[in-house]
Order: sequence, then structure tokens, then C-alpha cells
Amino acid sequence: MSKVLIVDPTLCTGCHRCEMWCSLTKYGEINPSRSNVYVIRREPGVDVPVICIHCGLCIDVCPLGALKRDRTTDAVVVDSDLCSGCGACVKVCPYGVLRIDEEMDIAAKCDLCSGSPACADHCPHGAIRYEDVRKAAAKRRELWAMAQAGKIRS
Amino acid sequence: MWYGFAGKLLRINLTSGETKVEELDKSELRKYMGCTGYAAKLLYQEMPGGVDPLAPEAKVVLATGVVTGTLCPSGGSYEVCFRSPLTGTWNQARSGGAFGPKLKYAGFDFVVIEGKAADPVYVYIHDGQVEIKPAKHLWGLNVEETTDTLIRELDDPEISVAAIGQAGENGVLYAALINDRGRAAGRGGIGAVFGSKNLKAIVVNGHGGIKVAQAKKFAEAIEKAEQWLNNYPFGSIPALGTVGLVSVNNSLGILPTKNFQTAYFEKADQISGETLNRKYQIKRRACYGCSFACGRYTSVPTGKFVTPPMEGPEYETVDMLGAICGVDDLEAIIKGNYLCNVYGLDTISTGMSIAFAMECYEKGLLTDKETEGMPLRWGDAEVMVKLVEKIAHQKGIGALLAQGVKRMAEQLGPAAEEAAVHVKGLELPAHEPRSESKVLALQYAVSPRGACHMHPNWASTWDFGQLDCGMKEFGLPWPPAEIQDESSQKGVVYRYVALQGEISEILGACIFYSWGGEGSCITPQLYAEIVSALTGWDVTAAELLTAAERSWNLKRCFNAREGFTRKDDKLPRRFSQAIPNGPSAGAKVENLDTMLDAYYEAMGWDKQTGLPRPEKLRELGLEFAIN
Repeated sequence: MSKVLIVDPTLCTGCHRCEMWCSLTKYGEINPSRSNVYVIRREPGVDVPVICIHCGLCIDVCPLGALKRDRTTDAVVVDSDLCSGCGACVKVCPYGVLRIDEEMDIAAKCDLCSGSPACADHCPHGAIRYEDVRKAAAKRRELWAMAQAGKIRS
Repeated sequence: MWYGFAGKLLRINLTSGETKVEELDKSELRKYMGCTGYAAKLLYQEMPGGVDPLAPEAKVVLATGVVTGTLCPSGGSYEVCFRSPLTGTWNQARSGGAFGPKLKYAGFDFVVIEGKAADPVYVYIHDGQVEIKPAKHLWGLNVEETTDTLIRELDDPEISVAAIGQAGENGVLYAALINDRGRAAGRGGIGAVFGSKNLKAIVVNGHGGIKVAQAKKFAEAIEKAEQWLNNYPFGSIPALGTVGLVSVNNSLGILPTKNFQTAYFEKADQISGETLNRKYQIKRRACYGCSFACGRYTSVPTGKFVTPPMEGPEYETVDMLGAICGVDDLEAIIKGNYLCNVYGLDTISTGMSIAFAMECYEKGLLTDKETEGMPLRWGDAEVMVKLVEKIAHQKGIGALLAQGVKRMAEQLGPAAEEAAVHVKGLELPAHEPRSESKVLALQYAVSPRGACHMHPNWASTWDFGQLDCGMKEFGLPWPPAEIQDESSQKGVVYRYVALQGEISEILGACIFYSWGGEGSCITPQLYAEIVSALTGWDVTAAELLTAAERSWNLKRCFNAREGFTRKDDKLPRRFSQAIPNGPSAGAKVENLDTMLDAYYEAMGWDKQTGLPRPEKLRELGLEFAIN
């Protein structure tokens, strides 16, 4: 059974290490602004990592076919040879987890690090995990329901 | 091309309104390694001795280090360096949160603030740009209101705001600078210095990254650090927060209580970390980049001490607004912590000033006339909270307390001097120096900023566990074979403790991860690996240690220029009297002079004056500091 990324905001302490690991892994520098995982830290007491759920909406709107599904991980990935940085994918993403990388001028998004996501590997508190899809789906249901009820425990 | 560092210094003159960006010199920076080491050089060379800390001529350096804002697990720090208006000494106040990392992402390692603005201003630093903006509308607001207003005005929820509250505006001599609402550059009165410059806040944000010279090597070094920290010997700190120390210290009889009259608090259970975490904790909060998350996020939801959610309280605060004042009401302590954060007050000096006033009241040295009829009795939670308000606004008796223990004692007379617990004018933090006449006692006596538990901070952990912290390869001797006398051994050992601890200060690292040994903490050797991969420089642990020694000596020279010598390396009278009760009953400090002799000797300092000898300064390349 394949794995997916799952976030449990109740465990996040707002340290931003996932963002730093992401930028180091992808671009060889430490820069939370060049990360494909986003930690929203606000007052009072909000610390929520926002990740791509690889839904594929962006695949449909890409005019150049630069967004594809990786057959091994099921990740939605950017083909840098095809991408023109037009931003259609950024516009359509309901979670805001796509961005145009200013240095490379192409779309940037999570590609699950080819099956070993650096953010999940290094999250000190298990707030981001790369887990079996059944377990992750159950957790997603739970979090979604609780969020709708406004009862996510902090 | 810069790796690890941003490579730039920002100079802001508030008098002229001019700002200037300066390129840093690589070899000069490497000599000091950065952060407080380089800030010491800047302040020593740019600010002559004898400048009034509250005068426009006084300078302030905000300093980040090479590991600030990187993946180094201790890298969330920045330090504010200045001459303290409370003590007249060198001062460095460290803080975590997001301010340091964001300053570096904005493109600056250092900010030098000079002069005085004609009207209130704030400084907005973002992506290599700097603006000095009017802050008349912010003057009089507390830290929380200021932060909220600036987020709204600049329309950016990602900014980090370091602001002063009413205490800094009103010139309370131990006013703090508070960043990210609840993180304090607390000690020594930087808030008063900001206030004297009409500087309400500094706002930072940046989207630049930190370039890494050898990304693969760096990732490996960081992974090693992450693994080693799984064996960290102080693993209970993240679980309970620093406030977990309340129970531990009380059971050892080293929980400072009632203005250090004793070191055991019968009601410690009521203010313990266990109680805080069970009843008031909302969640754990980490500084930027830290995997530790020792921060607590708490609130008091109902009752007379109700507070909104806020970071803290830390161990120091719980002791200082609690046991030190005889207060056993944790809700009042959380309220006091909240007020200190929003008014911008150092909780340590605030608590100690209140406790000192309570003892003076008990002894009849402060009367109802001076307190406007408010009895200052030990353990009165409401009085403690009221006094925090009065101090911040310099109202009534608060105006006396706002000057700190040293000046209060000078006004109240010789009988009060007996109860004044400070070193060089800095009130003692919440660590008892008497039991076993510890290395910590020596640290209090000699630290550049006065009675200091933080810079550097291995003394208490050395006293507990004699951890080597990676200093074995440099010959950490315990006990030193050639020295028989235990007090002299402690003096020699403090040389190792101070210099290893100073490595954190010059790298911009939080001290918490520097205690342990190989395989359980970030040793100087591991820091050297991390710094080498970050910068591309081939840095060794020995080089870090030499840079640390340079920094430590230069801070001593800074103080020497202000007239501080061996005569000032002394402890409050209280510590030559025994702890009266509890598990450490009978302990007192009797060996300070012996420890001092051995320490000066080991440092290459003159025993008579306690100052670095010219040959030591020459050896370190600090000829400019020879008097």
C-alpha cells in the first residue's frame, strides 16, 4: 500500500524546520520562502503546516502539460523542461501550496522527495508524517471533521 | 559570495535619519566568528569609555550569528549588545523567537543603532531595505498592541516585531525589548536604552535565504546533531518546559525563596511545572528553527488574574514572581508574566526588586507612608501584580523599584544593603550559588554583565553533573592533577566552562544544546563541523575556542574601561551566611577569593586587578584593547 503525507497540527510547535529542510533539499540553501511546505504561525497559538495533498487540480489547468503524476509515489510533479512559469496552477490551487519560484521562474511544489519527504523525515514532533494511506486517510477524516466542528484541540 | 552569513551590517543613525549598509570583512569576522564576539569588537572600538548608556552617543548592536536562522537545532537566537544603564557594564541580552532568523533573511548579520530620534520612530527592515517611520501613534501602547498595530499597518502577518512597552518608554532601568510578543531580550535595560532613543520598535522580514557552502556535508552534520540530541541529558526540559526545574530545584534545596533568605519553598508544588502544564498550558511553542520547543503557551481563562494566551512563564519568572516573593499563586504568576511581557519588563529584576522591597518592608526600612498604605507582605499575590503595574508606569513606590535593587539599597541605607542581592547592580537570577560553594558562585562574580546565569551557561550544569561538553580534548581537568585544593580546582574549571559556553555566544546559538558530551549534545567539535559546512571555511573546534577566548577577554576589557576590576567581582553579603533550612541547610560561599585567584591565573589575567595581561591580549590579537 502506498504512502501519503499527513499533517497533525496539534503536534506542531511552529519551529519551521520542515520549511528549512525542504529548501535545503531542493535548492541547497536555507530559505523558508523557498519551501514547498508552509508553516502558518499566527497569534494566538496557531501553528499549522500546510502541505500539498496531490489532488491534481493543477494538472488539469496546465496549458503546457508540465504537471504530471509520478507513477511511483503518486506525487504531482513539475517538469521543469516544460514549465513556463505562467502561474495557471498557482491560481487554481485551493490550498495555496503552489508558487512560482522567483529564482528559476517556474512553478514549484512538493514532489514528495521521490518517496522520502525531508519534512516528514525531520519533523521533531511528528506533526508531519509520511504514512500508509489507510492510516493517513483515517487521520484526515478525523481532522477534517474536527475542523468543521471548530474543535481542533490545541 | 557569502555562505552562512548574510555578509552585511546595517548602520542606522536616528539623529540624522541616515542609514548605511556596510560589507563585512571576512577575515575580521572570522577572527571573532560573529554575534556577540563581533559586537564586542564593534562596541569596544566605536563607543569610547564613559558614555552614558542613555545618552544619544550610546550605541546598540543587534547581532546574529552564523547559525542563526539555519537548521542548526539551537539557531533561533539574536543578541542585543549595549552598555547597561542598570549596571554600567557590558551587556548582552539574548532572545529567541523569529526576530534573529528574519533579520538574517532580510540580509543583515548586524544592526548598529546610533543617535536619538527627535520624535518617536520605528525601524522597518525588509529584504535589504530600511525605513525609519514615525511612531507617535505607537508611543504609550503596550508590546501586544504595538505588534498588532504594525502587522495591520504593514499588512504582513509574517513580520517579526521587537518592541518596547511602557516600561522602556518610562525609563525603567531593567526594561526589556520583547520580540514576537512573548520573547524577551530581558536583562540589563535595553528597553530603557530604546526609550532614550525614542525608538519604539524594530520590525523585520525577509525572503532571502542563507547560502550553504557544502549542502550535503551540512545536511549530514545537522542529521548527526538531530541524532545526538536524542540522547540529550536534559530531555525533561522540553517535556515540562524550563519551569520543570521548580520541583527539581526545590527538592535539592536550591530554589531561591524570599529574596534568597532561604532556598526551600514549602509551597513549591503549587507553582511547579507539573501544575503549570496540567492546568494552564495551551500548547508547546518553539523558537524559529528549534527542535526543542521548551516554550510554554499558557493562559488563565477565568478569575481575578485572567490573561489572554501568551508565551511563558519560564522557570526564572515562576521563581522570581513566585517563591522569591513568597507567592504560591500560579495564576498571579502567569498574570505577572503577561504584564511584564506587554509592558516590557525583565521578569528577573522585576521579581527581585519586589522581593527586596518586601524584605525592606518586613524590616521596617520601607514604611506605609512610602508604599501609600499598601503593606508589602511576603506572599501577597495581589500586591505582587500591583507592583508590576506600578513599576512599569513609575507610579508611587514603583518609581523606587524601577531603579533596581542596587540603587534602592543606596537610598534606603546600610541596613538595606545587607539584603541587597545583586552583582555589579544586576539582580541575581533564580539559581542558588551557595550549595557546595559552586562554580556558579564564581560565574556570578565574574560575568561581564553582573550576576548572570546565561552568558555563558554551563556553570550550573557543571555543578550538577561535571559534564565534559566536548572539552576533554582540550584538557578539561577534573580534578586537575596538579591542584589539590578543591576551590582552586573550581577556579581552573571555570575557565573551560566559560570558554566552551562562549562558543554559543559567538555563533548565535541557544545555550540549551551545548550541555552533555560527545553523542549527546552539540559539542564544539560538532559546531565546528556545522560551521565549516555552512561557511566553507575549514573551522576547527580549537579555532572556535580561540575566538571565544577573544570575545570573553574583550568583554572584560570593555568593563575595565568603565572602571570594573577585581574589586567588583564580589558576591552579595547574603551568600556568606548559611542557607537556614531545607536540604541545602548550612551551605554558604566561603571560598570566592581562592576560586578567583585560580581562575584569573588560568585565564592569564593579573591577580591583583583581575584584568587580562597585555601579553594575553597580544596573544589573542587584541592589541587595541591594551590600556
